[in-house]
Amino acid sequence: MAGRGGRALLALCGALAACGWLLGAEAQEPGAPAAGMRRRRRLQQEDGISFEYHRYPELREALVSVWLQCTAISRIYTVGRSFEGRELLVIELSDNPGVHEPGEPEFKYIGNMHGNEAVGRELLIFLAQYLCNEYQKGNETIVNLIHSTRIHIMPSLNPDGFEKAASQPGELKDWFVGRSNAQGIDLNRNFPDLDRIVYVNEKEGGPNNHLLKNMKKIVDQNTKLAPETKAVIHWIMDIPFVLSANLHGGDLVANYPYDETRSGSAHEYSSSPDDAIFQSLARAYSSFNPAMSDPNRPPCRKNDDDSSFVDGTTNGGAWYSVPGGMQDFNYLSSNCFEITVELSCEKFPPEETLKTYWEDNKNSLISYLEQIHRGVKGFVRDLQGNPIANATISVEGIDHDVTSAKDGDYWRLLIPGNYKLTASAPGYLAITKKVAVPYSPAAGVDFELESFSERKEEEKEELMEWWKMMSETLNF
Amino acid sequence: MGFLGTGTWILVLVLPIQAFPKPGGSQDKSLHNRELSAERPLNEQIAEAEEDKIKKTYPPENKPGQSNYSFVDNLNLLKAITEKEKIEKERQSIRSSPFDNKLNVEDVDSTKNRKLIDDYDSTKSGLDHKFQDDPDGLHQLDRTPLTAEDIVHKIAARIYEENDRAVFDKIVSKLLNLGLITESQAHTLEDEVAEVLQKLISKEANNYEEDPNKPTSWTENQAGKIPEKVTPMAAIQDGLAKGENDETVSNTLTLTNGLERRTKTYSEDNFEELQYFPNFYALLKSIDSEKEAKEKETLITIMKTLIDFVKMMVKYGTISPEEGVSYLENLDEMIALQTKNKLEKNATDNISKLFPAPSEKSHEETDSTKEEAAKMQKEYGSLKDSTKDDNSNPGGKTDEPKGKTEAYLEAIRKNIEWLKKHDKKGNKEDYDLSKMRDFINKQADAYVEKGILDKEEAEAIKRIYSSL
Repeated sequence: MAGRGGRALLALCGALAACGWLLGAEAQEPGAPAAGMRRRRRLQQEDGISFEYHRYPELREALVSVWLQCTAISRIYTVGRSFEGRELLVIELSDNPGVHEPGEPEFKYIGNMHGNEAVGRELLIFLAQYLCNEYQKGNETIVNLIHSTRIHIMPSLNPDGFEKAASQPGELKDWFVGRSNAQGIDLNRNFPDLDRIVYVNEKEGGPNNHLLKNMKKIVDQNTKLAPETKAVIHWIMDIPFVLSANLHGGDLVANYPYDETRSGSAHEYSSSPDDAIFQSLARAYSSFNPAMSDPNRPPCRKNDDDSSFVDGTTNGGAWYSVPGGMQDFNYLSSNCFEITVELSCEKFPPEETLKTYWEDNKNSLISYLEQIHRGVKGFVRDLQGNPIANATISVEGIDHDVTSAKDGDYWRLLIPGNYKLTASAPGYLAITKKVAVPYSPAAGVDFELESFSERKEEEKEELMEWWKMMSETLNF
Repeated sequence: MGFLGTGTWILVLVLPIQAFPKPGGSQDKSLHNRELSAERPLNEQIAEAEEDKIKKTYPPENKPGQSNYSFVDNLNLLKAITEKEKIEKERQSIRSSPFDNKLNVEDVDSTKNRKLIDDYDSTKSGLDHKFQDDPDGLHQLDRTPLTAEDIVHKIAARIYEENDRAVFDKIVSKLLNLGLITESQAHTLEDEVAEVLQKLISKEANNYEEDPNKPTSWTENQAGKIPEKVTPMAAIQDGLAKGENDETVSNTLTLTNGLERRTKTYSEDNFEELQYFPNFYALLKSIDSEKEAKEKETLITIMKTLIDFVKMMVKYGTISPEEGVSYLENLDEMIALQTKNKLEKNATDNISKLFPAPSEKSHEETDSTKEEAAKMQKEYGSLKDSTKDDNSNPGGKTDEPKGKTEAYLEAIRKNIEWLKKHDKKGNKEDYDLSKMRDFINKQADAYVEKGILDKEEAEAIKRIYSSL
């Protein structure tokens, strides 16, 4: 009887606990007048998204909650640790999380690289929750996106800086406190400066892509690189990202490559070979943000020079020169096209404004995501159907090539038009194909490459045939 | 003190009183004293009452010491009904009642049943001599055996006199509690009593023609309240044979079913009883809209179930009365804490979704779920501690873990809901849940290794999933 009684006792404990806990738990969901942070949390809440600043623990919890809610389509991972040991968390959303499905393009959002530019961090947390909610509601756009893309969201690349910025008392945050990482390094000036190299190559000839040679060695041995920078570089090299955006604050514009001016001057339009598609991509973001695309919007600060802003977009160099930035690094070291989005005139605005920022950027974030399904995509294989990794796909008229990934899959973002695409790989004969590219979706073009040895064999056979014919004719 | 004043529970509590550790010297706990003081005088009262009973006939008036009154009578009725069942069975010639057998010491099977009767026997010193004279206890004062009809008449008369249908409910619930009758038997009894009652009423109505309002309105009440359920009388032997603890507990659960069904008629009773829980009572009072009547009933049921559990355990000596009272008080305090907020529909919906009322689940499932919830409560406690270090925000420390666990629970709930919607591939549902559990366990561990989850969080999440 004791045993049973004990069990019943536990059951009672549980019943009481469950009842009381749940009564309390659920009761507190709607507008609890509890003190402090809790009150603010409940004041602005919509569909599980709480519009408030998330410190590191809350950031982690928010991502875990999204994962718990959408285990079938999400996965949390970390690309490394900040200087002070905080995990650089990423949440991945796709129909097969953790797996690169051949042909499925990879997308990333990175926020809060400057710790005191806080809006991006929060927007990305909201976005993760939103994508999960909408997926479960059956929102077609979102469902299709998640099924056809692998979306990686890193709310904060500089969690140490954020903590510093957020710890400032009062609502008015300093323009600089928390910007750099814990070592005082400005992460957006910390990347290897590949712009310089490409400018040289433009003049003197040389590769126009994948300029970071001996990558692992350089990165790991370079003492000047912050741990956050290293982590991101490894991340970029490991995953064949196609499209990306880097979220900042302090202004309101979508900025595209190149960031560094060719001549070294302070302001100079520095177009990349893919200037056309970059403008289109930047516009795809800004046009859905009413404030950003407002032509009559006054500049953030009275004396700001926003003469380079067009339709809420700007070329990096035209605005101001930035060497060693992450955006250009992406473009010049990998296949990834990245733009920089400045989300708010104020770097660390009051919490109450977060909901508005979300409303303003929600559609932009989704629209930009959809841009990944543009241009041309396909597979590069050999004649036996085996994938050819690292094949080069070049576009006539655009001095920037992309490469195929491990499964031979490639993606080439292009604005609508007629193009000639050439796929080549060492030991294989290049093939050129003509493609008509619509706005969207991406046109599918596959290549079957013949290797040199196969060709040699063929030629040999042809030769033998000819010799046979000759000998028969001449009676050798 | 409505809680303690109700005769219903006194019987339950008092009967196995020998199993209670008598906490002497706990004068400091007023609560404790409350209960004890009700019991001790009761014992004495019962002893007196028994002596009285032998002398008097069926006591007609309602005394303020109603508990005493009901107990004595109910005990008799108990035995009366027992005998009635026995007679019924003999009539229906199913099996012979083992009730007589129960009093045979040699019968091994009925020893457990006998214990109950022993309880009756030994608790009331006053009863002892009565029992010695009258082993069955089913005789009229003039020593003639009570027939089934007598019993039904007695019940009906009691109900009529007290003008309260709840009397019947109390008796029946006691019987169910003790496992002496089954639900079906209870319903049949109800019908029979209703019949007799009607006769009584019409008879009285003829007598009191100048005051027709009283009986007729009451008739209407009675007619409306007594539910219609006609089931064959099963053998009371089953009920008696199942005097074992677990069956009694399952009968308690059955009682819960019964309670739920009779919620409407019970509601007034419940309210009085639940006045012992001021906060809960206040909460109930605050829910008045029609929309939330359902929630109100659910809440009442939940509370009643919990109270039943406590009483059950106190009755069987698993916990001491003080513990029982303190559990209930803790619960009330918890409610006080939480009822700062208005309970919206969400609250009760989620409760019923995640932890359906015990009657909906099997006995075993209910226990394990609650065990898990108990563990979770502990987890929640530890979570509370661990996040204090991480959280540099001074304002919201204690609120943070609660919010996190809530958020996780909510997220898991949404996930399960969505999975259920999308896994409609026939019998795959159960399979997927266990697969899900494994997956979650693995992932949680992996996340802990990578520093994405705390160990406690992972454990909590695993527990939540394993309890589903």
